[in-house]
Amino acid sequence: MASSLHGNNTQICPNPTALNGGSAADVLSAQNQLQLQWLRQPDNFYFNQLQPKIIQSRTIIKDIINADHVDEVSIVDNATTAAAIVLQQIAWGFAEGKFCRGDAAVMLHYAYGAVKKSVEAYVTRAGGYVIEVPLPFPVSSVDEIVKEFRQALRRGKQNGRKVRLAVIDHVTSMPTVVIPVKELVTICREEGVDQVFVDAAHGIGCVDVDMKQIGADFYTSNLHKWFFCPPSVAFLYCKKSTNNSDLHHPVVSHEYGNGLAIESAWIGTRDYSSYLVVPKVLEFINRFEGGIEGIKKRNHEYVVEMGQMLVKAWGTRLGCPPEMCSSMVMVGLPACLGISSDHDALELRTCLRGKFGVEVPIYYRPPKDGEEGGVVTGYARISYQVYNKVEDYYKFRDAINQLVDNAFTCASLPIS
Amino acid sequence: MEHEDPRNGESPHRSSKKPKFSSNYIPESEIRDEFSHHQPRVARINNGSFGSCPGSVLAAQRRWQLQFLRQPDEFYFNTLRNGITASRMIIKDLINADHVDEVSLVDNATTAAAIVLQQIGHSFAEGKFKKSDTVLMLHCAFQAVKKSIQAYVTRAGGSVVEVRLPFPVNSEEEIISEFKKSITEGKSNGRKIRLAIIDHITSMPSVVIPVKELVRVCREEGIDQVFVDAAHAIGSLKVDVKEIGADFYVSNLHKWFFCPPSVAFLHCKKANALSDVHHPVVSHEYGNGLPIESSWIGTRDYSSQLVIPAVLEFVNRFEGGIEGIMERNHEQVVKMGKMLAESWGTNLGSPPEMCTAMIMVGLPSRLCLNSEEDASRLRSYLRDCHEVEVPIFYQVPKDGEDGVRDNDGCITGYVRISHQVYNTLDDYEKLRDAINQIVNDGKTCKMLCIE
Repeated sequence: MASSLHGNNTQICPNPTALNGGSAADVLSAQNQLQLQWLRQPDNFYFNQLQPKIIQSRTIIKDIINADHVDEVSIVDNATTAAAIVLQQIAWGFAEGKFCRGDAAVMLHYAYGAVKKSVEAYVTRAGGYVIEVPLPFPVSSVDEIVKEFRQALRRGKQNGRKVRLAVIDHVTSMPTVVIPVKELVTICREEGVDQVFVDAAHGIGCVDVDMKQIGADFYTSNLHKWFFCPPSVAFLYCKKSTNNSDLHHPVVSHEYGNGLAIESAWIGTRDYSSYLVVPKVLEFINRFEGGIEGIKKRNHEYVVEMGQMLVKAWGTRLGCPPEMCSSMVMVGLPACLGISSDHDALELRTCLRGKFGVEVPIYYRPPKDGEEGGVVTGYARISYQVYNKVEDYYKFRDAINQLVDNAFTCASLPIS
Repeated sequence: MEHEDPRNGESPHRSSKKPKFSSNYIPESEIRDEFSHHQPRVARINNGSFGSCPGSVLAAQRRWQLQFLRQPDEFYFNTLRNGITASRMIIKDLINADHVDEVSLVDNATTAAAIVLQQIGHSFAEGKFKKSDTVLMLHCAFQAVKKSIQAYVTRAGGSVVEVRLPFPVNSEEEIISEFKKSITEGKSNGRKIRLAIIDHITSMPSVVIPVKELVRVCREEGIDQVFVDAAHAIGSLKVDVKEIGADFYVSNLHKWFFCPPSVAFLHCKKANALSDVHHPVVSHEYGNGLPIESSWIGTRDYSSQLVIPAVLEFVNRFEGGIEGIMERNHEQVVKMGKMLAESWGTNLGSPPEMCTAMIMVGLPSRLCLNSEEDASRLRSYLRDCHEVEVPIFYQVPKDGEDGVRDNDGCITGYVRISHQVYNTLDDYEKLRDAINQIVNDGKTCKMLCIE
């Protein structure tokens, strides 16, 4: 089985042989039981079981994220869906004349690809003006991010425009960096931004997730990435306020108008088992010392340790200081590999998977003007989760060293 | 990958090409095995609501799920897309579509409705349509579709015209005539009808609608687009999208085509596929065409979209394949419907030729089913006390009309019974006897005790 060094896609139930005799197979088996219960007598399950079980999951999440009320917590498939929900109400704001054409939405340059497209589909299309916040990478301090964000907000408010929405990642995807969301939300309030949406796809189980502390209007996080749930389940938190009572799930069922949480709990016949398995997942997590907090802390410590081991072995650098990373960190790859495009990065990833049995996403960082030769243009995003072993990272270290020793360059990769 | 004998029906990756020799048709005992996960002793005669899935297909699904979990990146980059394309190819052939680009896989008809209606909503919001322009739908359209029209059309300023279909219904002509009347209404005062939504098989009450004829009428009357909501169609009756000629056609595969929950196909006539139809959950695939957009809407379990080859293997173990199954389901449900109507002294809701694998059977008037609550109470009572699962329809009496009567009064309630390969005579006798017992005990719906 390939060594997984990534936090990409689904971080699901770890290898059953992982640790402490704890069995993640329990979670998959619990999910299977729920699926069978439905198949056994679906009408009975629909009328008598489904809704109470979803409320149970929502209540657990509410407590973990320190939300005030379970009404504020909806369960959806993934952060991609949550983004569509939040952005669709912005689109209506434009369509119904609540907003003026040209009012702005602000998002990070490193926003997730799907979110960017969603902004295009719902905001740009409806007449909104989109501003991207350029962020430096590699990054050395939180101040660099705050500075760029303030500037972007100022641009957003030029010419009498109003900033209707700020979309802020809690942990960016590629390249991965922890964003100081609490501070940015405060700035948004100071600057009169209507609504703030925190895209924390990597949030729960990866960073501290406290709704009241962060203070955003909307906050979404996937539970299948770092919270051991099967694919796929996420929550969308919506702060109770008159400002944002008009959210709807885009897939409209007979529950339309009963509130987002109820709408999301029935979007037609489908397999809801991943939504229902949250209690069992909590059981699994609490077998670990310190529960999710303990797991988070150890993941962070180990990924930093492994990251530092790798940069030492390769003579490169980390993409950010340790305190700005979570359970993932960007590790510079030797410049001699000659990664000079997104295509090179993808091909190198394929090569690592196929030839070395290493699964790790690679990021291409274009050189900036004025940067001299020998600059690091490729970063690997390594992750640490409870199933990882130090051997996984040695394998990666040795694979790259072997490529370097063989004078491998991306230029030699086949053009596909 | 192991190479297994396809006759074992276990390989998830192969599609069977032809039905088997008669000596190899699936025996009764194996059919029981395939559905052994159904709750025993429950007379399950509501296949229409949530469908059913045989054990061998569930096993295939499990293999796909585990394959993803084993190495999700590898699966995402190398396997998923091809698996979905293979499923779409099979559907394209089944429904006689011209090109696989016309076939998208989505979760269910509810999702497909949101897709079609969102583009209509955009046109109203962006001024392409006038506020007075209309969308036409059947009065008995599925509730989710009605709400979707409210969310996307009414909200954007469009108007809605409902076609009131008669029930019980006696002939296709009755339906066509009402439909034409509503088109006239929708076009009155210089309005344009932008979309007609037509069920192929209505849900409650369930009747087969002459869609081919109605689509033709829509074209004659200059209606912009036609969307056929055929949630129940595939596996229930023959689906030929070229013959039907609609702009959009959706059918759930988990109702009558043995797929696990949930998967549906949305067929878009080629011209539409290139235009402005999008999945509302936007991913990085936005703009690459609906089939591609729908094939990746973020991380989730796509396994139900991948098992269609295994389903084909399953149905081809039956005599006549899916056609044989459809024929026998229809025959049996009509036979059972007549048996019930005769025992209860009631009626069928439609002539046999206007039903497929479901039929509406009148309930004795002595039950005094006079509200939605009564229907709901009776359904729960049948489930809890008689182990019968069957949906009940309350027929609101029309002003000034007496409606159909039995010997004791007006028939105001109907059961919608279904027949699928796992049903036996027992199931219907159980229902028959349960109703007879309630009536003989002198109980009305309001008197039934439930938890």
